[in-house]
Amino acid sequence: MGSITRSFANLITANGPSAVADGSVTAADISGNINFRNIIINGDMSIAQRGTSASGITDGNTYHTVDRMRTQITTAGTWTQSQSTDVPTGQGFAKSLKMDCTTADASLDADGLVIVRQDIEGQNLQYLKYGTSNAESITMSFWVKSNKTGTYIIWLYASNASNRQISKSYTINSADTWEKKTITFAGDTAQAFTNDNEGRLRMYFFLAAGSNSQSGTLATSWEDFVKANRAVGQVNLADSTSNYINITGVQLEAGTTASDFENVPYDVNLQRCFRYFEKFGGGNIHGGSYNGATTIGHVQYKVKKRATPTLSGVTGNNVSTTVAGIDNFHFTGTQPSYVVAASMDSEL
Amino acid sequence: MIDTVEKKYSLLDNSFQNFKVTKQDGTIIFVPNDEANRHYKEIQEWVAKGNTVIDNPPE
Repeated sequence: MGSITRSFANLITANGPSAVADGSVTAADISGNINFRNIIINGDMSIAQRGTSASGITDGNTYHTVDRMRTQITTAGTWTQSQSTDVPTGQGFAKSLKMDCTTADASLDADGLVIVRQDIEGQNLQYLKYGTSNAESITMSFWVKSNKTGTYIIWLYASNASNRQISKSYTINSADTWEKKTITFAGDTAQAFTNDNEGRLRMYFFLAAGSNSQSGTLATSWEDFVKANRAVGQVNLADSTSNYINITGVQLEAGTTASDFENVPYDVNLQRCFRYFEKFGGGNIHGGSYNGATTIGHVQYKVKKRATPTLSGVTGNNVSTTVAGIDNFHFTGTQPSYVVAASMDSEL
Repeated sequence: MIDTVEKKYSLLDNSFQNFKVTKQDGTIIFVPNDEANRHYKEIQEWVAKGNTVIDNPPE
């Protein structure tokens, strides 16, 4: 009896066997249970299908290493991004995302910025009840480490019928030290999230921001988009090649308190990332004869994509055309035609 | 950064299939005709700046 109870407790509680010492299990005891309460996908930075390091990153707005983490840079130095093994001790994380400044820009252009962001589909946000009087607060928690102390900004941008924003600052107090930050944002009662597969809520880690993003008053309550109000007080992490920042354990959840980071198995995390990006390789997919010398073949994705993906890195033999669908792509060519590798990108 | 964009057509029935995008670093991607695709949106922005999509439909 005792051993069965302990095993059960270890499976479902965040607090260990002592949580059921009296034989009862309360709602609080199961706070560590998996229920997809984290709105952020791959918040532990464990999946990096594109690669584990990318250097020479300058202007652009795309994905480099860690899945679902988009990097946006406008005239603000040069950076190396990596999936790092530097993590907070004893917190259960194995990876973090690191941004390392390799060419500095100590005097940012007015529109200069460095951002790491994640865009979230509107259909995953309906339960927050935005646009109603019951709009839920959301709480963000994460671990961060940088040599550069000071004020940093988290900016939430809701792109729906109109564009809305809210920003909160946090402080990195100690250089080169992992710190956990928790920030709560009120719900927006004025505007709902469109219920579709587009990026209706965007979560931004500002790392640098020029004067055009700082010249107003920080938008600590939901308001219509005003660029000048989104990153007031943000330090310039681009001002020295000594600068870096590591981030992991990113969680965004409904409510006003931060629960423990929701650990999901690696394979579950990977499956969720596949909806947005998938790399196929390591096998030959041969086409069959269609008419005479023309071949047609199909490559089935592991997971149905968010939208019709972009195909890249298609290698193989005699592949003349490729056409992506929502759950597979087909290729044509002259015999023998086969595909060896491809990437499918339907990121937001 | 986009260098060129070319419409691609099916070998099977000559129907329009996707856009072949060549980036300035030489990378080639194939972009679907889907407004929810972020690379499709980038093509629209590129065209709005006065650039032209190469279109040589098969006979």
